[in-house]
Order: sequence, then C-alpha cells, then structure tokens
Amino acid sequence: MSKPTVAVIFGSRSTEHDVSIVTAIASIIRPLELSGKYSVVPVYIDKKGQWFSDPKLKDISLYTSGSIDTFLDKQKPISLRIGVGMEIVLRNGLKQRSIKVDIVFPATHGTHGEDGELMGMLEMANVAYVGCDLPSSVISMDKSLAKIIAQAAGIPTSRFVWFYARDFKTNLELVLEMIKPLKYPLFVKPVHLGSSIAISRVNNESDLINAIEVAAHYDDKVIVEEAVTNLIEVTVPIIGNDDPRPALVEQPMVKGEDFFDFDSKYMHGGKKGKSAKRGAQGYSKLPAPLPKKLYEKSEQTALEVYKAIGCKGIARVDLLIDSKTNKVYFNEVNTLPGSLYAHNFREAGISNVKLVEELVNLALERRTGKQKLTTSFSTSYLKQY
Amino acid sequence: MKLKEITSTYSPRFPSVVAYMLQSTEYQSKPYLNWLWRTTDFSKVQNRRVLERTSKAKLLEAFLRLGMALEIIAGIVLLILGIITSTVWEWELGIPLIISYPFVWSHLVVIPLELGRILVVEPNERKLVAQSTQLFAKHEAVKIAVAGSYGKTTMKELLNTTIGEGRSVAATVANKNVAIEHAKFAKSLNGKEEVLIIEFGEGAPGDVERFSQTTKPTHAVITGLAPAHLDKYKTIEAAGKDIFYLASFLKGNNVFVNGESEAVRQFIKPNYLTYDSSGVGDWKVSGVKVGIEGLSFNLSSDKLMLNLKSSLIGRHQIGPLSAVAAIAFDLGLSKNQIEKGIAKTCPFEHRMQPYNIGGAWIIDDTYNGNIEGIKAGTQILKELKAKRKIYITPGLVDQGQETERIHLEMGKLIALSSPDLVILMNNSVSSVIKKGLEQNTFKGEVQIVDDPLFFYSNIEHMVAKGDIVLMQNDWTDNYS
Repeated sequence: MSKPTVAVIFGSRSTEHDVSIVTAIASIIRPLELSGKYSVVPVYIDKKGQWFSDPKLKDISLYTSGSIDTFLDKQKPISLRIGVGMEIVLRNGLKQRSIKVDIVFPATHGTHGEDGELMGMLEMANVAYVGCDLPSSVISMDKSLAKIIAQAAGIPTSRFVWFYARDFKTNLELVLEMIKPLKYPLFVKPVHLGSSIAISRVNNESDLINAIEVAAHYDDKVIVEEAVTNLIEVTVPIIGNDDPRPALVEQPMVKGEDFFDFDSKYMHGGKKGKSAKRGAQGYSKLPAPLPKKLYEKSEQTALEVYKAIGCKGIARVDLLIDSKTNKVYFNEVNTLPGSLYAHNFREAGISNVKLVEELVNLALERRTGKQKLTTSFSTSYLKQY
Repeated sequence: MKLKEITSTYSPRFPSVVAYMLQSTEYQSKPYLNWLWRTTDFSKVQNRRVLERTSKAKLLEAFLRLGMALEIIAGIVLLILGIITSTVWEWELGIPLIISYPFVWSHLVVIPLELGRILVVEPNERKLVAQSTQLFAKHEAVKIAVAGSYGKTTMKELLNTTIGEGRSVAATVANKNVAIEHAKFAKSLNGKEEVLIIEFGEGAPGDVERFSQTTKPTHAVITGLAPAHLDKYKTIEAAGKDIFYLASFLKGNNVFVNGESEAVRQFIKPNYLTYDSSGVGDWKVSGVKVGIEGLSFNLSSDKLMLNLKSSLIGRHQIGPLSAVAAIAFDLGLSKNQIEKGIAKTCPFEHRMQPYNIGGAWIIDDTYNGNIEGIKAGTQILKELKAKRKIYITPGLVDQGQETERIHLEMGKLIALSSPDLVILMNNSVSSVIKKGLEQNTFKGEVQIVDDPLFFYSNIEHMVAKGDIVLMQNDWTDNYS
C-alpha cells in the first residue's frame, strides 16, 4: 500500500519567510519522514510568490548557504490542480507529471499563509489540511478581532483600541483622542504581524506617535493596548480539534518592563542583547513556575480562547498575568507557532514525530467530519427564473 | 542491472570506493570480495564513513588508478591498431579490455595484499610474537587473561580501573586483542608493572591456546559464550572448547567464569569460580539498586563488606563487578581502594551508555553484537520505568547458520521487554525479528526504517521527555 502524500507548504511573501523555512524543514518535514508513514513533498513559495516543488528543497543547507536563488533559477514553478482534492503539477520541458496530495501541512508564518489566505484555497481544493481553518486563522491573525471575540466569550483582555493606518495619516487627532483613555505604558502593534515584528512599548505621547508610524509602516491596521502591570507573560501551546488539550504553560524569561522583539526571539536564543544559541527555544521556563491554581487558570483560559476562536489542530495562546491580582488576560493567538513549539510538546511527552503524526490525524479527522455535512440543497429557484 | 548501477562502476570515484571497501574490511580478502560481489550500486557504498586517506589506502588507490588507466590505454591502442591494419582481432580484444577494467582491477588488487601478507606481514608478526613469548615469560607481574565471546573489553577496562587504584597496571589497548597486538603490548612494558591485563580475541580454533602459550597468564576471566565467528568455529561448542583451553592452561586455578552465560555451563568445572548477580565464590550480593544512572549493591564475605556503586547500568553488571572486586581483594587492595575503583567504573562508549536528550534517556548499546548482550539490554528495558519505551536495532551480523534462530530469539526477547515501539532497519534480518515479535504476541508498534543513517542522525525527533530508548548494535557499510 502506498503511503499518503503530505505536501508541506512553506516560505511565502511574509516577513516571517525565513522562520517558516526552519519550521517546515526541521520541525515538520524531518519528523514526517522519520515516522516512515508518509511520502513528503516540499512546496516552497519564494519571496516573490512563485511556487516550487523539488526533493532538494527539503535540504536546509540550500537556504543557509544562500544558493536557493541560483537553484530556483533552474527550476520551473509548479501549478496546482484543485477541485476534488489537490494535485501538484510539475513541468520538465514538454513533460508534465502530477502528484496527488492527500494532506497539506501549511508551514507559512504570517501574511499570505497563516492569515487564512492559504486555508481559503485549501478549502476550495477540498483537501485535508493541518491546523486552523480559514475563519479561526483570519480571527487569530487580527489581534484586535481576536480580543473582541475573547471579550465576547467573557475572557478578560487588557484595554485596547484599534484603527486603520490611513486614519492615523489623515486624522491623527481622532486617533490620539481614541487612545487618550488608555493608561501608559502602552504597547503599539501592527495587528497582523507575528514574531514581535514592529512592536513598541511607549511611556508617553511623543514616543507613541513614532511607534504608531513604525507599526503603520508594516500593516494597514494598528492596535494600541495597555500594558499589564506586575506582568508574568506565559504561553500555552494547544493541540486538538473538538477536544483540545494543552501542552505545558511556558514562561518566557523577560523582566516585566521588557518584551521580546524579533531578534531576541529568533536570533539570540531568547537572551536579549546577549550572544546565545540560535533558535527560539531555551528562552523560557518550562513549565512556568506558577502556583498550581494560577497554572490551571492559565491552562483553562487558553483552552477557552482556543474554543472561542474556533482553533483546530494546533495553536499557541499567549496570556498576560498580573502577579498581584492573579488576573489572567488573553493577549494573542498564534495559529502556527514557530517550529510548532515542538520543544514544549517534547517536554510534555510528545515527540516531534508523534506531534506531526497527531496533527496529520487531526486534519484527516476534521475532513471526515466536514464531509458528513450536507453542502447542497434542492430548490425550484432556477425553474422559477 | 540499472543504468545508475553501471555508471557507478565506471565512475572516476570507483577506485576510491574499492579502497574504502578494502579499508573497511581491514584489508582482508575474503570479506572484501564478499562485499564486492554482492554490491550492485557502488555510489551507495560510502554511506556511514568515507575513505580515511592513510598511506596504505592512498597506495592501493594509486595502484588501482594506474592499473585501470593502463588497461584502458591498452584497449585504445588495440582499437587504433585494428583501424590501421583493418583486422578484427584487435577490436575483439580491445573492447573487452576497455569494458572489463573495473572488474579486473577490483579483483587484481587482492594480489598485492595477499603477497604482502605472506611475504612481509606474517614473517614479521611471527618474529614479534616469538620475542613477546620471552618477554611475557620473564615478566613477574600477575597476568590476567580475559577471554570470551563478548564483554571482554568491558571486563578488561573494569579490571584496569579498579585494580589501578592500588597496583601498577598495564592493559592491552582498546579491543586490540590478537597475537600481534599482544606482542606490541609486551614490547611497550617497562618490567615494573605489578599486574598485566591481556584481552584474548579468539577468531579461529586454536587461537586461545596460542595466546595462552605466548602470554602465560596466572589468572583468567571468561566473560561468556555466544555464537560468534561461527564461520571458523562452525559450532558454539568448538568456540567454547577453544576459549576454555585458558582454564585448563591454569589447571582451573584462579579461573573466574560468568555463570550467567548459559552456554558456558557445560564447560564449568568445580574448581572454577563462577560469578553472577548473586556474587562470586564466598562473596554474596545484597541490597541491589538498579537505575538509568547506575547501580549499587553490597558485596560481603566473612572477612569484609564492600559498598559498591557504579555508573554501569543493568543487573547483568553485578556479576562482572563482583568478580572484579574479588580479584582486586585477592591482589591485596583495601576496602577503600576497591570501593573507590568500582565507583570510577562507567559505561564505555556505545556500550550500555546512557545519555539524556531533552528529558528522554537513550541507552546507546550500538557496539553490542551478540545475543547475550541483547538479553542483558532487553532485561534492562523491561526493568526500567518509563512513559514510553522504544527499542531500536538492525539485528546481528556474523551469525552463520544460526542467523534465523538467533533473530527469532531476538524478536522474543524484545517482545518480552514490552516496548511501545520497535524500530528495525530494513535489511536481511528485519523480517525474521518481526516474525519473532509476532510469534510472541508483541502488541506494540513496529516501524521499519529504510535509511538508518538519516534515522540515527535525527533520533532527537523520535523522543520526548519520559521516554527510554534502547539502541542495540549498528551495521557498518560492509554489512548494509
């Protein structure tokens, strides 16, 4: 019996393009191949948005050596055949061959992928895919929308306002008026970007304007939110569809007044300003050293957020805790945690191989559930026309 | 024959691949030729390692390249002559010459090796061995010979570490355990050593007798008997007879034998001292604690009580450690020295060597290549507590006619240790091990791996906190 084909889609037109390559190759493709259960096909979207597929694209050295562009120059972009399932169509001169894909494993971080665009295409293709679906990806990618949903489900968030970048450019006074009720220090963030890109912490109005300018440079929508005092920042990776379960509550090792920008998360092994090992792991306390009740409350809040937003497969919920009041606030959701947060799952007893196997199974389970839904309805509408 | 296989034979890398094959088989003609004859794709031969460019390897590679070049040139000259003279026979000879060069020279290369062995190496070795007989005879040290089908190097190192706490000790290096290595060892001695430890690496009938006559041991440790080198010994009984020559050489005095090895039992005589997990001779074991990070136990006689701790893992180590402690006591070491020496013993590289990856324990026993070691390893896996247990092996090599029976037994032993996941390498014995698992109603998952190198180098992806993984044996390129 042939093995099911899993297409891992990564790269894409995103500020997190490089993070996506590492997630795909180290945390998804390698464990999938090690499981021995799947035929794994890499699908790489370059920074221009062209799609490629070749077994050599599974080799991380192709990217780290900088030879990827030369390699792609010799390759022909692929096309996709979608409808009842999905096929990758490869062309070599006049020859054409296609690979039928059974499951898609999206590994694109940020825009043009994690934001729901890719999921929309996969829904149309009617193919099983791993992770959050279109609506939950869209909601999670928009930090303001996710907070609004969470609040509607009775989950506390810090006070915030949001506005479009164009409002900031055309009507600064109105934007500042909206922000005025909020108490400094404030965080200014582009609503759609992850990996802490273009996030600023500000203590006064002059810094605020600069920070909004930076955020508006990257995104068309900006969120400004109050900082939580006596802060303990925790994050909870969760796996599952209708019956999700948390891995371990993890505490990034930062001081209350500090936060993680892109460099400290990915370039310095989490140790801000210090030279350290590569990768996002090793910058946190695992499990978070919280009192039992607060630990459980964090798990519970994260699960409530996961369900309220409708996440499927995997997601990571970031929470903010006021250590004096023990109040837990929802901060944001990441529907494709960097490197799948495999280090956390491993500590919780789930190996990388088991993690990807389970995610593939969850994708198939969700698809089976969806196929049971009725998608047609007979009417006499056309006859009446 | 596929196109890729043909091109691999005519590739410019072919001479280097042949040199690698010779090097990997320690320049022995028979295993080299066996490997050569069963290989179809030479591009896949250098999988685990690459050619180590020693002077011997470089010389052989140059010999091959030169020979092949000359044969091709000769073929071309004949073809040209055929064109000039318009005759056919030059073509009939020239074309086969050009086509056959890889086959001819990959076989001809054996001739200088064999000539070198017969004319140079063996006479030199005979001379050195003869000299060493004199050196060993004159040396006044206690001479402990370590023999057996398995566990010799470990036993030698345990004795060296422990006795070294109180006596001046010299031991043969690593697993260099044949006559020429004993001779080199004898040459390196200064005459002031108090204890010599000599490993006997039997390979063919009569080996142990020759080693005993040369080194003249005063003590013997026989670590066990299992199917090994059956191509030469044919039966395990024949191997046992050779190994136990050592005991008869000593007339049964100061002979320590591993009583946990089933196959040695028929050779044990009343005056031998057997060691096992209950003790050795008058020494009795009590208070055993076994864990992933080591073991501890008490060893007591009517004269003394020793509190022993070691980083070695597994209940099967209690017997050897007891024997070592008893020998050390006989050689006059104090309680403190013995305890200190035993505490310094630790797993050797790739032999029941535990290490931690992100909360998962990996027990690396990849140098283990016999069924007794498999028994010991699977017993440890059974005994240790874990969230999930994983067992990994490619199987055993050199088992001769016993191959099927041994691998069915392996399957049984693995099944009895109840791992959650068994990972086998796709090779000639994986289906037999699987059959052994099925016959013993193994209920866990079985995975067959096609690319062992990729698998071993990414093992961290397979494990999570709370797992215990036992890896037993590993096949080098010449067995894959």
